[in-house]
Amino acid sequence: MSDRGYLWLALVFYAISCLLSILRLRRSGPLPALRRFTAIAMICGVGLHTVFLFARGNSIGRCPLTNPFETTVFITWAAALFYILIGSSYRVSFLGEFTAPLVLIINFVALSELNDTLRPPPLQPVPWMVDAHKPISVLAFGAFALACVAGGMYLVQERQLKNRHLSPSFLLMPSIEQLDVINFRLMVLGFGMLTVGMIGGMISYRIVGHWTKPKIVWAVGVWLLYALVLLARRVWSLRGRKIALVSMFSFGFVLVTFWGVSMVSSVQGGPP
Amino acid sequence: MNLITVGVNHRTGPVEIRERIAFPKAKLGEATCSLLGATPLHEAAILSTCNRVEIYGLTSDSGHASAAIRRFLHEHHHLDQNVESHLYEFCDRECVGHLLEVLCGMDSMVIGETEIFGQVKEAYLTAQQAGATGAVLNRMFQKGFAAAKHIRTATAITRGSVSIGSVAVDLAEKIFRDLGSRTVMVLGTGEMSEATAKALRSRGAGSIVVCSRTRERAESLAVQLAGRAISYDQWPEEFPGVDIVISSTAAPHPIVTTEKLVPLMKLRHQRPLFLIDIAVPRDIERACGDLENVYLYDIDDLQQITRQNVAAREREMVACRVLIAEHLERFWAWFDQNRPTLQQRHALVGRVPPRGDAGPATSEDVAYNK
Repeated sequence: MSDRGYLWLALVFYAISCLLSILRLRRSGPLPALRRFTAIAMICGVGLHTVFLFARGNSIGRCPLTNPFETTVFITWAAALFYILIGSSYRVSFLGEFTAPLVLIINFVALSELNDTLRPPPLQPVPWMVDAHKPISVLAFGAFALACVAGGMYLVQERQLKNRHLSPSFLLMPSIEQLDVINFRLMVLGFGMLTVGMIGGMISYRIVGHWTKPKIVWAVGVWLLYALVLLARRVWSLRGRKIALVSMFSFGFVLVTFWGVSMVSSVQGGPP
Repeated sequence: MNLITVGVNHRTGPVEIRERIAFPKAKLGEATCSLLGATPLHEAAILSTCNRVEIYGLTSDSGHASAAIRRFLHEHHHLDQNVESHLYEFCDRECVGHLLEVLCGMDSMVIGETEIFGQVKEAYLTAQQAGATGAVLNRMFQKGFAAAKHIRTATAITRGSVSIGSVAVDLAEKIFRDLGSRTVMVLGTGEMSEATAKALRSRGAGSIVVCSRTRERAESLAVQLAGRAISYDQWPEEFPGVDIVISSTAAPHPIVTTEKLVPLMKLRHQRPLFLIDIAVPRDIERACGDLENVYLYDIDDLQQITRQNVAAREREMVACRVLIAEHLERFWAWFDQNRPTLQQRHALVGRVPPRGDAGPATSEDVAYNK
């Protein structure tokens, strides 16, 4: 099986997870068996997603972040991984019900639309420190993706509370305050990782001696965007609905501009 | 061998009847022994709650047993009026099915309530301690407990609160991360606001401030809720530090308006505020609910949610009945298989020795008791 085959298989499991989630929402009960199967499908999806990244990394001889397709797939993998960590530590398994569709859709778009030209393995092995900033930065985007999911959940739950119309999913979802906290902490985590990645990138590119300007500008722009969001939260008490919307728009903006910048620069490589 | 249930519940008999044939908790064991002595039942258990009195038994002759149970109820309670028309009776599979429905709260006044499960368990343990249960009733009850637990987790029969206080608590739990660090303000000391505050307290609400025009009433309620009382004039000062407000004053006009709330929300740094307006006429201006991070529910909103939850539980009964049928079939297969042996034992010894005489409960019994 080609490495893309593993990703398609992962998407099948994400799709199963989505279907089971819809079933669970419609049935409204605690349904432990259904919840278990949903989680198992999600874990299988993440497992196969990991196998894809591992196989791709082996075939290109470096971290699989050499083209827009690989980077996008890496971001969604990071989001799914963060969900598994956050979901269990915050006891918000329901986050998975919203993460699976996002991961499914973005990966589907990546598989069918994005440029996946394989880069030949480097003639000389690249020192790991030179490439390390890339996965760190992309993991940051995974955290932003999950913050976007938490923001979406916040809006759904808040809408139910405001309209006083409670759907069967109401009792299954976490409190809006908890979602607000998860959203904020994920953005702080992502911002911290992005900062580390950028510092690492600056050092690495000085070592290697080449860099792509549009991507640097883009990365600085993203960093400034999230710095502003976090500042607004801290200084102007931006919280609740507004911060949820901002986190969703920010991630959407990051994703779209990333694809745009990648196409414009036509330079293969993840964000610095 | 037949299983039999004779009883009365809130649907078949008014409280005047139920209270006359109810068994006091302290004398339930004694009454169960008397029942075994007065009827041709080999095993028996009496369930007596405020909404139902039911006798479960195992007999070799259901016709005689039914008449004897009815006679026992009359004689034991010295009834001077005929309660026959209020009694219902289930035999064999229907008897087991009825027990399962009772255990799942499907036969309760509030569908899906879970208190009945504990009450049945208590009734069973009393009968067991009195030596009135044997292989069949032990298995029927223990399988019943396991089935009810399964049905409650596999369906939504217990989901969604069906009282105003519980709905308010559910909403609070979906707004706030942790009720333990929240402050509740009770504005006005009506019966429903008291019940709502108690429900919040029972789910761990941090501190409670009671405010009423009558200082004595505020203090009395504050003592009950382990909170503190403040005078009516003080509530605007306390308001910024409060997360949940239960309002039920007799004020003719809204006392909380958007003009008052907007600056208060700034002082609160836009932290969420949950307003529960139980007063009629309403105490809180409806437009307050449109403010960001403010969640306003009046009495109609809460009642509407209660009705929706009741309807959802009623719909869920279909799924429960499917699962009940599965559990019933499993129990019945065992009962049918063992019926000849049990018949023989009863024919030999008259009445099967109570479980107390027959030795300790089986490992299976113990497993189901967990």
